[in-house]
Amino acid sequence: MQPMDQRELMTLQHYLKEYGQQAEIFVSQLDMLENGRMEAMAAIEALEGMMATEDGVVLLQIGGGASVRAKILEPEKVMLAIGAEVIVERPNKDAVEFLKERIMEMEASQKKVAETLDRLRSQMNEINKRLETGYQQSMAAGQD
Amino acid sequence: MFGGLKAKLQAARSRLGSSIQTVITAPAGAGTGGGQPEPGPKMEKSAVPPEPEQPTIVEKFKVLLIERELIVSEKDVADALSELELTLLESDVALPATDAIIAHVRKSLVGKHRKIGESVDSLVVGALKAALLKVLGKGFDLLDYIRTHPRPVKILFTGVNGTGKTTTVAKIGSYLKKQGFSVVIGAGDTYRAGAIEQIGVHAERLGIKVIQHPEGGDPSAVLFDAVQYAQSHKIDVVLADTAGRFHNKANLMSQLDKIKRVMKPDLVVYVDEAVAGNDAVTRAFEFDKTIGADAVVLTKADMDSRGGAAISIAHTIGKPLMFLGTGQSYDDIALFEPARVVEELLGDT
Repeated sequence: MQPMDQRELMTLQHYLKEYGQQAEIFVSQLDMLENGRMEAMAAIEALEGMMATEDGVVLLQIGGGASVRAKILEPEKVMLAIGAEVIVERPNKDAVEFLKERIMEMEASQKKVAETLDRLRSQMNEINKRLETGYQQSMAAGQD
Repeated sequence: MFGGLKAKLQAARSRLGSSIQTVITAPAGAGTGGGQPEPGPKMEKSAVPPEPEQPTIVEKFKVLLIERELIVSEKDVADALSELELTLLESDVALPATDAIIAHVRKSLVGKHRKIGESVDSLVVGALKAALLKVLGKGFDLLDYIRTHPRPVKILFTGVNGTGKTTTVAKIGSYLKKQGFSVVIGAGDTYRAGAIEQIGVHAERLGIKVIQHPEGGDPSAVLFDAVQYAQSHKIDVVLADTAGRFHNKANLMSQLDKIKRVMKPDLVVYVDEAVAGNDAVTRAFEFDKTIGADAVVLTKADMDSRGGAAISIAHTIGKPLMFLGTGQSYDDIALFEPARVVEELLGDT
């Protein structure tokens, strides 16, 4: 069998590297979306918890593992960043609804990014197979 | 593309439409909700004259029928406009662009005489479309620009790291080649490991000549050589790739300034990703202020459900949006045509 041209092997290696870099970017986007989703879920839990407490006292984390007891003056009112760096005051219930919608949006985006990532990975697998074949052919040709 | 924004705008369209419809169909004596009557426009030559002895009924009309025309008052659409404003902000449309859209829709709808035969929906859609077109600007016809300027046309690509500048350069190279222009690429990103290799692979795949120096070289020298090559080989367009940088990195920005002085680009194109939303708008604004920009390309628009950056960038920084990156392959780049985008967002299909 004719061994694969060395230049073709190099080009395939370049492709693989490039796809790998793209995949890394998509993985970090997925991480960001997942972090955002988890943050929104935690916020929903906190908002609902605030409404459930009778005295409005919560543990407020202030960083470094330290927390203080804080009393929420108006648990029914929430300052919410809705986008475009705009913050509006919303009733607690509406804020929870808004965050739930945001979670759905992020999940839809995650699905899209994951699909693209899958396509990239299958292309990378294809290139890997061709590279393997090329290496084997080169080695076989070297032994002859 | 921009699926979330499309759904929200369609909802806002229905809301605006129904708020106008409500007042059209409201029975004359019933009013529309018991609010304080507002001073409506004077009625003249009424086709169905109201009872002169019952002016209060007239006052309760939110829409006045005058010679088969209707007049929409500000109060009729106030709630719907407020909802539209929040919808746009939630989609990451920048505040100045949101304000401009709301002001335009308000101006289009309030106080204007409209034929009764005209459907409410077309009234609302017309107002929304006109408002969006106003903030989207006219786009940027790159092909026309190249045809009407001395060759080679030198285009410098700038932007922050990791937004897809190098891939965009390759995509635009492919697009221009298909349009019959000859292209040379200058591998001006001599900083990032593998960037020269990356643009080299793209160029080889596309059959485009690439001018490159060893990694760590002076990008100004690479791009100067690319321009020299284009001049001596009568190439139509020079696409100059550069390393990603943030506008607040003084040394990197002064390097970009040097590149500009050396290669004297005809166009400076700022590249960012649509998914960055309002951050992309802010960064584009800062870049334009620091180094200048003539047009903008937004990548990853296919992954952007909100569409905020695409809607606001032209209005906020005053520079046109030129292309949208819409996928992984070389053909996945679309010339930004405002009318088409508006149709996609507000069309019935």
